[in-house]
Amino acid sequence: MSSPHSAIVGMGRATYLRLLVFFLAPAAIVYTVFSIYPLLATIFNSLYLYHSETKSYDYVGLGNFTTLLTDTTWSVPFWNAFRNNLVFFAIHMSVQNPIGLALAAMLSLPRLRLRATYRTLIFMPTMLSVVIIGFVWQLILSPLWGIAKLFLQTFGLGFLFAPWLGQEGSALITISLISVWQFVGIPMILIYTALLAIPEELIDAATVDGLNQFQAFVWVKLPLILPTIGLVSILTFVNNFNAFDLIYAMKGALAGPNFSADIMGTLFYRTFFGNQLQLGNASMGSTIATMMFIIILIGVMTYLFVIQRRMQRYSF
Amino acid sequence: MSEVKIRNLHKSYGSVDVLKDNNLIVENGAFVVLVGPSGCGKSTLLRCIAGLEPISSGTITIGGKTVNDLPPAQREIAMVFQSYALYPHMDVYGNMAFGLKFAKTPRPEIDARVAEAARILQLEPLLKRRPRELSGGQRQRVAIGRAIVRKPQVFLFDEPLSNLDAALRINTRVEIAKLHKMLAATIVYVTHDQVEAMTLADKIVVMNKGRIEQTGKPLDLYYKPANLFVAGFIGSPAMNFLAATVKDGKTLELADSQHLNVPLPAASKPGDQVTLGCRPEHMRLGGDGTLALKGTVDIIERLGETGFAHIRMATGQTIIAEVRGDPGTSPGASATLSLAPAQLHLFDASGQRLG
Ligand SMILES: Nc1ncnc2c1ncn2[C@@H]1O[C@H](COP(=O)(O)OP(=O)(O)OP(=O)(O)O)[C@@H](O)[C@H]1O
Ligand SMILES: [Mg+2]
Repeated sequence: MSSPHSAIVGMGRATYLRLLVFFLAPAAIVYTVFSIYPLLATIFNSLYLYHSETKSYDYVGLGNFTTLLTDTTWSVPFWNAFRNNLVFFAIHMSVQNPIGLALAAMLSLPRLRLRATYRTLIFMPTMLSVVIIGFVWQLILSPLWGIAKLFLQTFGLGFLFAPWLGQEGSALITISLISVWQFVGIPMILIYTALLAIPEELIDAATVDGLNQFQAFVWVKLPLILPTIGLVSILTFVNNFNAFDLIYAMKGALAGPNFSADIMGTLFYRTFFGNQLQLGNASMGSTIATMMFIIILIGVMTYLFVIQRRMQRYSF
Repeated sequence: MSEVKIRNLHKSYGSVDVLKDNNLIVENGAFVVLVGPSGCGKSTLLRCIAGLEPISSGTITIGGKTVNDLPPAQREIAMVFQSYALYPHMDVYGNMAFGLKFAKTPRPEIDARVAEAARILQLEPLLKRRPRELSGGQRQRVAIGRAIVRKPQVFLFDEPLSNLDAALRINTRVEIAKLHKMLAATIVYVTHDQVEAMTLADKIVVMNKGRIEQTGKPLDLYYKPANLFVAGFIGSPAMNFLAATVKDGKTLELADSQHLNVPLPAASKPGDQVTLGCRPEHMRLGGDGTLALKGTVDIIERLGETGFAHIRMATGQTIIAEVRGDPGTSPGASATLSLAPAQLHLFDASGQRLG
């Protein structure tokens, strides 16, 4: 049997290998330098303990991880950040993605006018800088000069207003919802694209079978776009557990009040780079980063091996 | 009784009139085929009957009941789509049972109907398969099965065979004809394919630009096309048309000044502009010249026993004539074409049939 390369392109093995290297090298180099190396270095770092007095590193095995999970100085903030991050993710899953789905469904209604306008407007916040979004929402929600209060008062609902960003009980939820507002365009576009791929005749068939638009969506379109919804979910998970910028922009590294909006990203930032009185600690910072990596890895693996395997992709 | 009556049906999208004043009766148990060039509104008419498109004005009755305002599911119709439109996430059983489940049909009844349809269409071994695990022909049968289980008054088919390869298309065509007999079903069927139309139809409806040009039995359309459009559309290769002027009671003068002695209707006056039509299969190379055209052989297409000779007239127009066996001539030679007097068609200046 002839080897595939000669069968396909009719060139010598050496030439073929050279070509292979030539085309693969750029991607491989970039990927190694900017992804694989930092990842390995971080994991490596997390196995050593830095002594600031002697400026030396000691190998401690998994010692840093034991400290992080058991020593209350570290474990309390860590579990707090982890819990907050779960809340952050839960809000995105239960608010952002259903709204994205609903918007996509409405965008794909056959007789909708101004479709392109809606699509652009809803997608717009995603393209804005997080710093601007954080600033704008801080202004809107400010109890002193924010328009949110006035707005509610106009409708006689002024009593509902509270300094949501400033209260321990509501800061995280508020920021999560702002993030939802910013990113809802992404699930919308992804799901909308998937919906467009479903042929009209399928919906006609469902109509003849007695389904109305809504039922056709639930019983025909939804099952067909489940793979996309799965993809959206896992993207949300990865993004949420890597999140940092919006909270940093709105609340600073301390993610207050009283760490109530602290998530893995902000905890890592404070630990690694230091903040105010807290000194930077590369070892513990790397340990937290490695934990983030492991959490995301577990999530993605579960998705790939448990959920995605049970889902079918359909081509039409 | 499952008769479909369409009266003064009008359909427009915005300012575009897609169907104009259509009248059609589909008798109980009839197989009616809609044909016409692409974009003439065949699918739209079918979708109006199905209720998938709202109509602008007119009435549609199915089985004596006006269905204008009824949703598709309540019109007692079933539709088979060109792309089959099977639900990819359901197996064959699920595809056929889906509509019945939604209609809250009792489970034993659903099972019985699906089993019956599967038996008729030989789908029994495939009931647990998903559509993507089926061949094109099998998918087509599932789509038909999904229609059968609804026990509709009327079956609507939109180019159901156009995604099948040639051999399978002939098979399935025969299957559909058998099915029509067996179920005594009323069928409205859209196609591009003349052979499908001629072989399947009890009645053919020729459409053009949103209007029904002629309705009739297949052979009636072939032998007595009502106008130039139908004459040119039915038959392949298409009928030859020659512009002519009436000379006197029985002579036509063609554009290249040849004269033909043709029986003319009494009403025609000297000077009338008419169009003479003759099908390739009703022309013959050579002959005595009483009813003959002169020209030059351009090319000869041989298809085996039969073939087509392209004859160029002095005007530059090309006439196609069928030849059988050895044409006995070759490109460049001059030729005489004999026309069969009984098979000539005359159309007046507005394109309507004369006589
Ligand atoms: N949603 C629509 N909006 C505007 N015009 C439409 C719409 N749907 C169809 N048309 C127009 O209506 C006309 C008839 O379309 P239809 O699909 O019925 O043609 P058809 O005879 O089925 O053609 P084909 O043989 O190519 O399937 C076409 O000119 C088409 O452009
Ligand atoms: Mg069509």
